[in-house]
Amino acid sequence: MSLLRIENVDKSYGDEDVLHDVSFAMETQDVEVIVGPSGSGKSTLLRCVNRLTEIDSGAIYLNDEEIHSLDENELRRRVGMVFQDFSLFAHLTARGNITLGLREVLELPKEEAVAKADDYLDRVGLADQGDSYPAELSGGQQQRVGIARALAMDPDLLLFDEPTSALDPELIGDVLRVMNDLAEEGMTMLCVTHEMGFARSAASTVTFLDEGRIVERGPPEQLFENPEHDRTNAFLGELSGLH
Amino acid sequence: MTEAAETRGSAVGRVGGRKRQVFLAVGGLFWTWLLARWAYHNTLLDGLLTAVGLPDVLRSDLGVSQREPWLPADWFAGVAANLATDAGGVSVLVVDPLVWLFELAALAAESEPALAAGAFLTVYLTVLSMFFGLFIAVPAAVTRIYGGPISSRISLAYTELIRGTPLLAQLFFFYFGLPLAGFISGFRVMEVSGMPRAAAVVAIVAFTINSSAYQAEYIRAALQSVDPGQLTAARSVGLSRLQGIRHVVLPQGLRYAIPGWTNEFVYLLKYSSLAAFITVPELFRRARNIGSDTFQFTDIYLIVGLLYLALVITTAMLMNRLERRVTIPGVGMPAGRD
Ligand SMILES: Nc1ncnc2c1ncn2[C@@H]1O[C@H](COP(=O)(O)OP(=O)(O)OP(=O)(O)O)[C@@H](O)[C@H]1O
Ligand SMILES: [Mg+2]
Repeated sequence: MSLLRIENVDKSYGDEDVLHDVSFAMETQDVEVIVGPSGSGKSTLLRCVNRLTEIDSGAIYLNDEEIHSLDENELRRRVGMVFQDFSLFAHLTARGNITLGLREVLELPKEEAVAKADDYLDRVGLADQGDSYPAELSGGQQQRVGIARALAMDPDLLLFDEPTSALDPELIGDVLRVMNDLAEEGMTMLCVTHEMGFARSAASTVTFLDEGRIVERGPPEQLFENPEHDRTNAFLGELSGLH
Repeated sequence: MTEAAETRGSAVGRVGGRKRQVFLAVGGLFWTWLLARWAYHNTLLDGLLTAVGLPDVLRSDLGVSQREPWLPADWFAGVAANLATDAGGVSVLVVDPLVWLFELAALAAESEPALAAGAFLTVYLTVLSMFFGLFIAVPAAVTRIYGGPISSRISLAYTELIRGTPLLAQLFFFYFGLPLAGFISGFRVMEVSGMPRAAAVVAIVAFTINSSAYQAEYIRAALQSVDPGQLTAARSVGLSRLQGIRHVVLPQGLRYAIPGWTNEFVYLLKYSSLAAFITVPELFRRARNIGSDTFQFTDIYLIVGLLYLALVITTAMLMNRLERRVTIPGVGMPAGRD
């Protein structure tokens, strides 16, 4: 039984095909990294998994349950998401960002929600920032609150959509460290990221997506050292050229 | 239009330094007078004091026309009359304005009890209508943005119908068109002393509906300026759409709406004078009646203009204060938005 199984998913916006016959599966504790050029459909794929976007055809299973048979709010509770632009609730403190879901979705009593929130803030190294508003935090701190917010809902799977690409280089490390810790603790993660270091150290599988199709998929060593396809090679070459 | 209006609102609200102290002193005097008058003639308070054995402290028994002025109206009038008959050789250029000033003071003092009653009713009509209007405006704005094709169109039709027709026409519709006043008078609560008269209730109904449409527009614009990613983030945590709107979009959007809301408040303060046309004895109607009794139309409208100004400035200052109070770093500072 796979934790996540994506089968022959198609998705188009108008007459623009964004995802084309995408299939793959993830086991519990897998860390899947998706790479691909801009516009290749990486974000769309993630958003299909928690139904922020609906697929046109195919099927997606979470723990062998088709996600469209689940209540969408319940699905999203079980699939956390971390955004490129952090998307913290701007009117709530770091703590409030975490407790909102705990209180409204999990319906925890207030004290319990606060205690849990502080716990997760501690885990991402922000124990002393509970009372700060997002605008008072650095990008790296905001993103770690974003991770804590998703984590606190106790999800089966975490989706990351380029979690570090909006950050200044010196702030990326803190976020990657948290993600690495999560991977080590056995969190199942589906990450769109172009941080090759993270992919090498944490990923169980890397998938190269191009024009909505999976071009190549395999363990990081294989994909980075011996890619089967020229396109993969060319793209990864471009990526490392950037760094 | 909103932009210009916003700046105007904040300019009145933000006064600094020495000027601010004069403002606060004049405002303090004004509100002391208004509230003292209200308390002095309040039936409920009088009843309370009577019950504890102080029957004659407050005078809720006096009709507005029977109330004695708290300022020496006769003395002002006397000074004006004396100056006019015997200027003692001082140039008319000085005497005439002085005479006018004392006549104005006499009129103000004479009409003070009636004006206090009117001003209080104006505040009452406006505050209640804004308050009730808000409870229509928020759902209307939310429905307009997030509703389905039918419900959002109903909301649009509502706001456009109300904003597209004159307020006076709406007032007449409720007062003369629907037999609303008679209907309201039929309720036994209306016989409880201290209740506003049926016409005032009709005015509140009309103003509530009218202001709800304008408030809905301000709130809609404010909600739309909330980053849509905020609702997406709420939903990705597992909150339903309604929960996301309630806990994420509204708390941010309503903060953005405060400047527009202040505007609507100020407009309604002034437009509530239209209630005079359906016999509600608010500030403007009191002034008009005094004008027709004394024929000093210019003077009484000048005085009443100053009273409206005091109300408007108070509103702007309070709303400014509210805005600063609920400000959160990164949210609700209209200047630093987008
Ligand atoms: N809501 C939408 N409506 C219409 N077209 C969309 C929508 N979302 C995405 N697209 C289109 O789908 C394609 C894939 O977008 P997507 O955001 O999934 O790419 P991506 O791989 O995440 O790119 P990037 O690296 O730039 O984030 C793009 O061409 C985009 O224009
Ligand atoms: Mg993307």
